[in-house]
Amino acid sequence: MSEKEMNYKIKEYLKEVKNKLPEWLKDKKEHKEILAELEDHIWSKAEELSQTGQPTLDSVQIAIDHMGTPESIAKEYKRRGTPKVYITEELWPYYKKVISGVFSLIILITVIVQIVNLIFGNLETIWDGIMGIQIGLLIAFAVITIVFVALSMEGYFPEDFMSKKELEKREKEPGRAVEKEKSLKPFIKPLGEIIGGSLGLIFGVFLIVQPLPFIFSIMDIEFRLFLQFAGIFIIAEGVLDIIRGLIGYRQPLAHQVIHAITVGVKLASISVVILMMNRPDIFPILVVEQPSGVLTNIGLAPGFYGLFRGIAGLIIVIVALSTIDNFYKIYKLESYKK
Amino acid sequence: MITIIKRVKELGSNALIASREFRDYVEKQETEINRGISSLCILSTIMQSKEKELHGYKILKDLTEKTNEMLVIEEGTLYPILRKLEQDNIIKSRREESGRKRKYYSMTEYGKQVFNHLAGFYSKLTEAIAPLFDVKVDLQQDKYFYCPMCANKIDLSNTELKFCTICGFNIEQELIERGLRNE
Repeated sequence: MSEKEMNYKIKEYLKEVKNKLPEWLKDKKEHKEILAELEDHIWSKAEELSQTGQPTLDSVQIAIDHMGTPESIAKEYKRRGTPKVYITEELWPYYKKVISGVFSLIILITVIVQIVNLIFGNLETIWDGIMGIQIGLLIAFAVITIVFVALSMEGYFPEDFMSKKELEKREKEPGRAVEKEKSLKPFIKPLGEIIGGSLGLIFGVFLIVQPLPFIFSIMDIEFRLFLQFAGIFIIAEGVLDIIRGLIGYRQPLAHQVIHAITVGVKLASISVVILMMNRPDIFPILVVEQPSGVLTNIGLAPGFYGLFRGIAGLIIVIVALSTIDNFYKIYKLESYKK
Repeated sequence: MITIIKRVKELGSNALIASREFRDYVEKQETEINRGISSLCILSTIMQSKEKELHGYKILKDLTEKTNEMLVIEEGTLYPILRKLEQDNIIKSRREESGRKRKYYSMTEYGKQVFNHLAGFYSKLTEAIAPLFDVKVDLQQDKYFYCPMCANKIDLSNTELKFCTICGFNIEQELIERGLRNE
């Protein structure tokens, strides 16, 4: 009876410890080994504490007391990773990746929905879209941050989310991450691309939505249409930059394809500048009338048409030349494929 | 870790220890100090043991005895520390095939080098801060040599060693100059 009771006492304690262990550890078979080791420790201690050398119910109880609370044992297992602003250094890069990925997705989906709305002439929903982006980003930021802080507190590491196969593959390739970083890092700055792309997206949306009526309403309707076309091209480039940022240091072939598409988008955008170049008469020159203080569009004086065409031509040349950078990157990425 | 303050059972009602604020603060500080040195003390226990490998319970027993029951680890928390050390390749383990199937721990070659360096650093640090607490620390410099470059603790009984295994410093030259080794 006594041995049964002792066993029961120990099993109950171990059950409590198991319940308190972090989830990432419970998923592994290793937790059984941990519990077995604790059990062995309790028996050894109980044997030593009893005067006869045989464990007793009392000595088992004392041994369990000496083990510490299940919480304190679990806490020690959770003490993993290097702290960095509530999220451990080990999880930080993944936190940044998830945040930028989700943000880009929210912006992308909202923009696509709004473009569709625009095409179908449903202009009232534009502001709702912008508000939606803001709320979406705020909620996503809060949820993702809470999740990552909780994971850090529980002592999770990125490898805890990897499959057995992935882990085995990782183990077979020592220094893989370092090598990758060393060779691939120079060709892209993912965060820079994502930020740049997001700014492009915002500017593109601004040109399409034209939200400041006191400015845009006094412009020629044809000129506003040109601006909207320009906005679409800028959004397209922004989205491509964000995608490249999300791909990061991986898949050089995908980067090459995206650079090629970017060249196409850039060259296509020249058509808008050419159209605009031929319509200097609709280019707005905004002045504040005195003494009324009203903003008025006086248009470009015919004497400046030549200058206007020259500047437009220069823009075309700059856009065309900027594709050289894309071609160079396509060429450079060849060496990264190895 | 069990801190000294936690072990005080009887509280004088007028004593400072009766103050919750004082107890909490002191306990937190003691825990922090203990945490930093616990892994090192566990490694030291494994290193100094005459047995080739030790099981968890034996490690704890030796540690408690050697530190005059000053450094007492809450027994259950020893195993997470051992697990971390094993994952960092500082120690390795072997499970007994029969009987209780106990898990035995021993140092890896890499772990020994890490330990010597950390032990050297800790010894030199203790010596350096000793005057702040008006205590004396004897580093037993007739037995050990502390690398002047990286503080690695080098056992002088190893007469073959010419260079520090951590930083490559020429210790033979230094030992000859200090009269600890013959030319």
